[in-house]
Amino acid sequence: MYFELRNISVRYDKVRALDDVSLVLERGEIVALIGANGAGKTSTLRAITGLARPTAGEIWFNGQRIDKLDPAAIVGLGISMVPEGRHVYPFMSVKDNLLMGAYLRKDKKGIEQDLQKSFARFPRLKERLRQQAGSLSGGEQQMVVISRALMARPQLILLDEPSLGLAPMVVRDIARAIVEINREEGISVILVEQNSRMALKISNRAYALETGRIALTGNSADLLNDDHIRKLYLGLARL
Amino acid sequence: MLLNGVVLAVNYALIALGITLIFSIMNILNFAHGQMFMIGGFVVYYLYGLFGVNYFASLVAVVAVLGVIGWCFEKFFFQRMRKMATREENSMLLAVGTALLLENLALSFFGEKQRGVPPVVSGVFKIGDAFLPAGRLLVMVLALVLIVGLLLFVQYTKLGRALRALAQDREVTYLMGVNVDRIAALGFALGAALAGLAGGLLMTVFGINSGVGTVYSIKAFIMIMIGGAGIVPGAILGAVVLGFAEAIGYALLPGSITYLLIFVGLIVFLLFRPQGLMGKPWG
Repeated sequence: MYFELRNISVRYDKVRALDDVSLVLERGEIVALIGANGAGKTSTLRAITGLARPTAGEIWFNGQRIDKLDPAAIVGLGISMVPEGRHVYPFMSVKDNLLMGAYLRKDKKGIEQDLQKSFARFPRLKERLRQQAGSLSGGEQQMVVISRALMARPQLILLDEPSLGLAPMVVRDIARAIVEINREEGISVILVEQNSRMALKISNRAYALETGRIALTGNSADLLNDDHIRKLYLGLARL
Repeated sequence: MLLNGVVLAVNYALIALGITLIFSIMNILNFAHGQMFMIGGFVVYYLYGLFGVNYFASLVAVVAVLGVIGWCFEKFFFQRMRKMATREENSMLLAVGTALLLENLALSFFGEKQRGVPPVVSGVFKIGDAFLPAGRLLVMVLALVLIVGLLLFVQYTKLGRALRALAQDREVTYLMGVNVDRIAALGFALGAALAGLAGGLLMTVFGINSGVGTVYSIKAFIMIMIGGAGIVPGAILGAVVLGFAEAIGYALLPGSITYLLIFVGLIVFLLFRPQGLMGKPWG
């Protein structure tokens, strides 16, 4: 298996955030994690990146156990995360933001190429290159943080609520960019979303989390038509 | 008088930048900043004043000594504290403790005497009607060079970028693959070295004794309160304001009235603008 969570539990003080969560991902897949606020979606991503320590279970990536590594080592292995709420460096230029993403890389030429690639993907970033990232619109900031994560040349990218607080048009652009990154660069994606419809539309498979446990899993196309899912996550209940 | 203001201002800027660096990166108000300044002064006193080591080599030694002290403080005190502590007050108490530690160590090793050194360069420049001793000019130029160097380093190097990143968003900086503990220790070392350098420079003008630490810590706090905590241009501006206020006050007013007025002025100022000149409002 390319990437796997095996029976992961995470606690914060006394509160159990994740309980016995298992999840798999094949190389090249987009896997969606859906569920309500506080269901454990973000905790799952934090456990993967090493920001939170699992109290039980194992995480494997590319044949290597990673749940005891520190965040920098995990980034070095090729896992990048785009945190929720965008989190650009507000008082840094867009360019410096992007360069921070390439912190562990030494190949100047490759970094320059990847900068150009970011501009090709999001032309708006090139216009705003010298501007402070904090002064950008929400959609532009999302472009910055996605590009920043890509600057590390990851094999697996974790996206935490990339559509949060964005206008529907912008959500569509971001969704398109995610699919593009996956198809053209061959980067695997774990997508955490409250916008379940968007997440199910662009992902191959999905897991639904409920109070820290996996409640349901399946092919995204099937889940999109599943009555239970429609009722719980898509808000389409017709009684 | 105004020239003295300039000399003070650039050196104070060095102090203010050091404390700003530490504050913005680690959210620690470095109460020991003045004590670090004092130790920097004593390193110069012993190496240059007593043992006749070249002045510039002594300054390099200051960077080394204070860098190690700052590094150790972060590594052995603050980093541990941050992993255990649940309240922000803890870091403040610890910072006060480190200040007392340094001050008492200095008292037992260096004694309480006022120490001075022979001038590094001799001669006096006449600028208009004012006289500027060459020693003060040297101190001013060195401080300016250091400030510009620091600003360039922070703005244009990869390490400097990582320092800025850490100051703006600690958690995201983990996600960039930065070894946060190491960069934080480096930032602390750099801030401490700046305090020490200011001490090593200013002591050639005013001399040094084990008790000056608290005075300079308070001056550092005044500067960042004027400018706005954690903001680089604010720190420089605060240093300029305080440097000139002090120089003008000492020239025109009797004795200790200057600082009385500065404090009264500061209180009134903070009533109207608690976030400082360039700071953002809290909350």
